[in-house]
Amino acid sequence: MTQGKFIFNTICLLVLVLLLTAADLCFGSISLFSLSPDDPLFSNILYDFRLPKTLTCILAGSALSICGLLMQSLFRNPLAGPYVLGVSSGASLFVAVATMLLTSLNISGVFFVGKGIITLFSIAGAFFVTLIILMVSKKSKSNVTILLVGLMLSQILGASQGLIEYISSPDSLKTFVMWSMGSVGGTTLSDLRFVAPLTLILLGLGFCLIKPMNAILLNEQYAQNLGVNIHRLRISVIVITSILVGLITAFCGPIAFVGISVPIASRLFFKTSHHLHQMVFCILIGAIVMLTADIICQGISNQFTLPINTVTTLIGSPIVIYLLFRSKLNIG
Amino acid sequence: MIQLNDLEIGYSGKKGPVSVFKHLSSVFNPGDLVGLMGDNGIGKSTLLKTMTGTIKALSGQILLDGKSIDRYTAAELAQYLSIVITEKIGGFNLTAWDVVASGRTPYINLFGKLEQRDKDIIETSLEKLNLLPLKDKLMDELSDGQRQKVMIAKSLAQQTPVIILDEPTAFLDYNSKHRLFKVLKELCEKENKLIIVSSHDLDLMTVYINRSLTLLEGNVAEIR
Repeated sequence: MTQGKFIFNTICLLVLVLLLTAADLCFGSISLFSLSPDDPLFSNILYDFRLPKTLTCILAGSALSICGLLMQSLFRNPLAGPYVLGVSSGASLFVAVATMLLTSLNISGVFFVGKGIITLFSIAGAFFVTLIILMVSKKSKSNVTILLVGLMLSQILGASQGLIEYISSPDSLKTFVMWSMGSVGGTTLSDLRFVAPLTLILLGLGFCLIKPMNAILLNEQYAQNLGVNIHRLRISVIVITSILVGLITAFCGPIAFVGISVPIASRLFFKTSHHLHQMVFCILIGAIVMLTADIICQGISNQFTLPINTVTTLIGSPIVIYLLFRSKLNIG
Repeated sequence: MIQLNDLEIGYSGKKGPVSVFKHLSSVFNPGDLVGLMGDNGIGKSTLLKTMTGTIKALSGQILLDGKSIDRYTAAELAQYLSIVITEKIGGFNLTAWDVVASGRTPYINLFGKLEQRDKDIIETSLEKLNLLPLKDKLMDELSDGQRQKVMIAKSLAQQTPVIILDEPTAFLDYNSKHRLFKVLKELCEKENKLIIVSSHDLDLMTVYINRSLTLLEGNVAEIR
């Protein structure tokens, strides 16, 4: 892809992100156009509810898409992604444990302690699963094996989570079930003061992996011969993806299909393999998908808001099915 | 120049290191087209992997221009020797240009930006192997022979004095094999590169190579 084409595509996507951001901020159960800017309700809705939600959408979509891209390139498998490989399930299980602990110790409401512990547990869960997947990928070069192990891990973690839910108190069960449906509405501006810089730093670190990630698309042996330290690259991808997935999952719940489908969509539309282009496009498309999903979630009805997971699955699944039916497609 | 001093090669098994071949000594000079021959399982691929630094030697030494391979950093080694292996490369929208451009990895910045000089080297590498008309083709659209040529062009773009090829003729038809060896011979003669190639095509090899290293049973190495 030429420099001019890359800049043109980036600007087009950026304009789309800005338009969707404006739409997400303005529309919902109450349209901001129906309120006067002087009305206290206007600033209340905008700053306390819509703005954190919209920013969370952008951060979550970008972060999960970059995680999917890094995983797909590292495993050289287009079906890899945090949700498919069980990384999100790992985070979920650990959050279930944390929720139960916090409720039983009665400290979930203590300012920042509850969210802090949940975030740490979520990151630990994501890290744990990513590490297992990586160990499997070192033992077996087969993409099918890696995917099946990811699938089985998801099942084991899901069953363990079910067990925890079964024995947990009604209070912690309710908190956890609400969280597991996925929501971008629970994040406050003060949460974002912590989430946003950390996400941006990790995305920045992702950009430092462009050169080795381009080389590893050939295969590990070629990449090593091109001067790439494979061990360091693996560790970097594990650390970046685990923290990002753990962080986003802790605040938004497990969000399905964004991580796998956005990098695939980016490859389908823009036909490039260079990770500088792919990362920029994935960040922007990830934001577009999450903002669109959020607009749909609140646009369906004035009475209720759909769980965002339902909508991301409805958008993401057809893309994956499209991939399966177009097996000759050059995406992986 | 590559010098092997009483080299023992092998791999680490569950019960400790497994020796595959030992007491191997030889010297290969710039301009040599070396044919590495031997039966299946004798240790050709293990030797090539040891010479490229992918696996460590069990004992003995490999000297690259007089300096032990262990003392080379990954980046230095990437500028000294390049490899071409049999595994098919493709998918992920990789074009012939992308693959050849990856040869510039040791020389470019953190963000993979290619300068004009890098682009010129990539074009020249493609041109030397008559691949310019195919540069925008996806790797999956190329024939096995064209794909092997792309990998050699990648090695040229890597600008290493040594190129090591493991079974490059494995999936090629008769004419493609000859064309490939002609290219390798030309690179040795015109660019003074040291090329080491393993293959089972003995008749074909003997037409083109000027040095040979044959690994035989009982740790016997026949060097000509």
